[in-house]
Amino acid sequence: MKNLFNLICKPLISILLALVLILSNVAEANAFCGFYVGGADAKLFNEASQVIIAHKDNKTILTMANDFQGAVKDFALVVPIPVAIKREQVNIGSTEIIKKLDTFSQPRLVEYNDPNPCEPPRHVFESSGRFSGAIPPPAPALSKPRSSLGVTIEDQFKVKEFEILILSAKESDGLETWLRTNGYQIPKGASEVLKPYIRQKMKFFVAKIDLKEFKKAGQTTLRPLQIAYQSPKFMLPIRLGMLNAKGDQDLVAYILSPKGQVEVANYRTVKVPTGQEIPEFVKEDFGKFYKTTFQRSYEKENKKVAFLEYAWDVSNCDPCSTTPPDSDELKKAGVFWQEGGDRTFITRLHVRYSRNKFAEDLVFQETSNQDNFQGRYVMNHPFRGTMTCSAANQYRQQVSKRQEKEVQNLSQLTGWSAADLRKRVKPLIAANPIKKVNDQPFWPWAKP
Amino acid sequence: MIKSLDPRVYQIGFLGLFLLVGIGARDWSLQPMVVATAIIGCAVNQLIAKSIFQPKENPLPSLQSSLITSLGLALLLRTNHPTTMLLAATVAIWSKFLFRWDDKHFFNPANIGIVAVVTLTGDAWVSPGQWGEDWLYFLMFLAAGSLVLKKVGRWDTSVAFLASYAAMEAARSIYLGWTWDVWAHKMMSGSLLMFALFMVTDPRSIPNARSARLVWSVVIAGATFILRNYYYVPSAVFYALFIMSPLTLILDAIWSAPKFSWEKLRPFTFNKTKLEA
Repeated sequence: MKNLFNLICKPLISILLALVLILSNVAEANAFCGFYVGGADAKLFNEASQVIIAHKDNKTILTMANDFQGAVKDFALVVPIPVAIKREQVNIGSTEIIKKLDTFSQPRLVEYNDPNPCEPPRHVFESSGRFSGAIPPPAPALSKPRSSLGVTIEDQFKVKEFEILILSAKESDGLETWLRTNGYQIPKGASEVLKPYIRQKMKFFVAKIDLKEFKKAGQTTLRPLQIAYQSPKFMLPIRLGMLNAKGDQDLVAYILSPKGQVEVANYRTVKVPTGQEIPEFVKEDFGKFYKTTFQRSYEKENKKVAFLEYAWDVSNCDPCSTTPPDSDELKKAGVFWQEGGDRTFITRLHVRYSRNKFAEDLVFQETSNQDNFQGRYVMNHPFRGTMTCSAANQYRQQVSKRQEKEVQNLSQLTGWSAADLRKRVKPLIAANPIKKVNDQPFWPWAKP
Repeated sequence: MIKSLDPRVYQIGFLGLFLLVGIGARDWSLQPMVVATAIIGCAVNQLIAKSIFQPKENPLPSLQSSLITSLGLALLLRTNHPTTMLLAATVAIWSKFLFRWDDKHFFNPANIGIVAVVTLTGDAWVSPGQWGEDWLYFLMFLAAGSLVLKKVGRWDTSVAFLASYAAMEAARSIYLGWTWDVWAHKMMSGSLLMFALFMVTDPRSIPNARSARLVWSVVIAGATFILRNYYYVPSAVFYALFIMSPLTLILDAIWSAPKFSWEKLRPFTFNKTKLEA
């Protein structure tokens, strides 16, 4: 038995320990974050839905950005919610805070400027600032309970320009008919998707627009709706949204938690590629680069994973694409645990889903994972000034090698042809004619 | 030669392979120190506990069991700090020596280690989505699992657990009006399969008689189903196994059968166990 142990277990332990060492080297590679240059925000992705979910214990505050494209009068929103909610649990969210969290957590391009290899190194610093905003006041409630077609109006009220109904239903056909006859334009086949929610005794949050109020408030776009509820269900229903989808749909969820990273419990959560060095010209269209990179990763993962784009304590960032959200902004985002002194951790999940790949709604789980993560791409600017020392030649060679590696990285990330990309690289040698030609040996390899 | 290999050697090989596959192909970011702590922590605890409770026995062969436990912990448990993993390893190993009845431990060591640190420390979690739902992984677990289970004669437990859980989820799917792809998505979960093949089947801590094991599997499947669908616990399987583990003692008392022993296990004994059950 002892021999067996030596034979089988020892090599296995050595393999594991070897792997451990390899991994530890990789982990140490990313120590500097560079200067923020630009980002790829959620607007890049057509029809991307954005939600903020603030979650602690059994309490959730969900902010839904309304990306509705048609005429405001046609707007109707039906969201299954785990429990019935009252007027005081509904609020108008802030479009600015969604933008803010988007900018704060977006995949980013950072840049480094090579120092003059002929001068001693110097240090650089970054600065940061903060700004604050106001919380929108709540509007008065209205209540008129009634019931027909097995549909019960649990509550009915107005929140600014939104007319809200909280419905419960016995049969999905009844609910579909009820919604149609009451002027909610819902897509065909809705009853089939509504049924499981009804059977799970979930309620329906239904919203449409009061045009008078909308005009009176001088609004031009729909504001986000914010709802608060208490339930152990930590999930996001995506199946209803698939009904009116033309193809793949994008969802960007900013999940705020006092504990740490949030992951999807019933699908794999995969990090977007990060840390790669890419050519300088990507700066011209970073959005196109990220869109292509994302699509490629999505296809590589068989279109059935959730992508982690950002995970960080909101109190800091490195490099910062904007100032970290302050306590007022966090309050607007739904964070309700600040007074207890708890920290806030943000997780940005990007899910591209379609009916045939995402059968189930997204179930989330909070973890105590404190690892920071960001989708970050690095651009290096070579030093293009005058170089008059002998180190310059070695530097030029290094840059040339690095530029080739950057082209390879970009090609790998996006699938673009390396030969085409190479043509766009600005080589250093052309910009820097070598001054002291005599310093260069004719046959460097022949030197002793 | 190969025929007489201890099934634990296969299990160690497969669990090690899964760990490599998880890190290499499934985007796991495991801290190397945490993995090393699991392996070393379990081994050291095993040697200490063995020297206290069974000082006359050679402790080295039992290191295989401790390695299985540590690989299980490394595969399933996630934490920010190696100390949390050390605590899990300690609870796991000592549970084998402390929670005993009639010379048999009744908690699955890795499972009790996981449940203890997840509920007590606030620094640990399990990622049920970590394997995804790919056919390739499904087949990999199935092939490896069948090989090990055939050797220890506990395939009945896996089949009973999976079949009863699948039936319950199917009934719920039909009632709710979900399309079958929802059910398939739930059943294809790599984590569920790994649990069914490698954790719920630990021959040392589960009931000895086949009838008892069948009842036991169905009870655990039922508990998993309730915790997952009505209490919304994403890692329901681990809690279900933990809560139901002491049931082993009652089931062993009702259906008696010889206790499982790795040392006595040879191809012929395997056949005998099957006949007796």
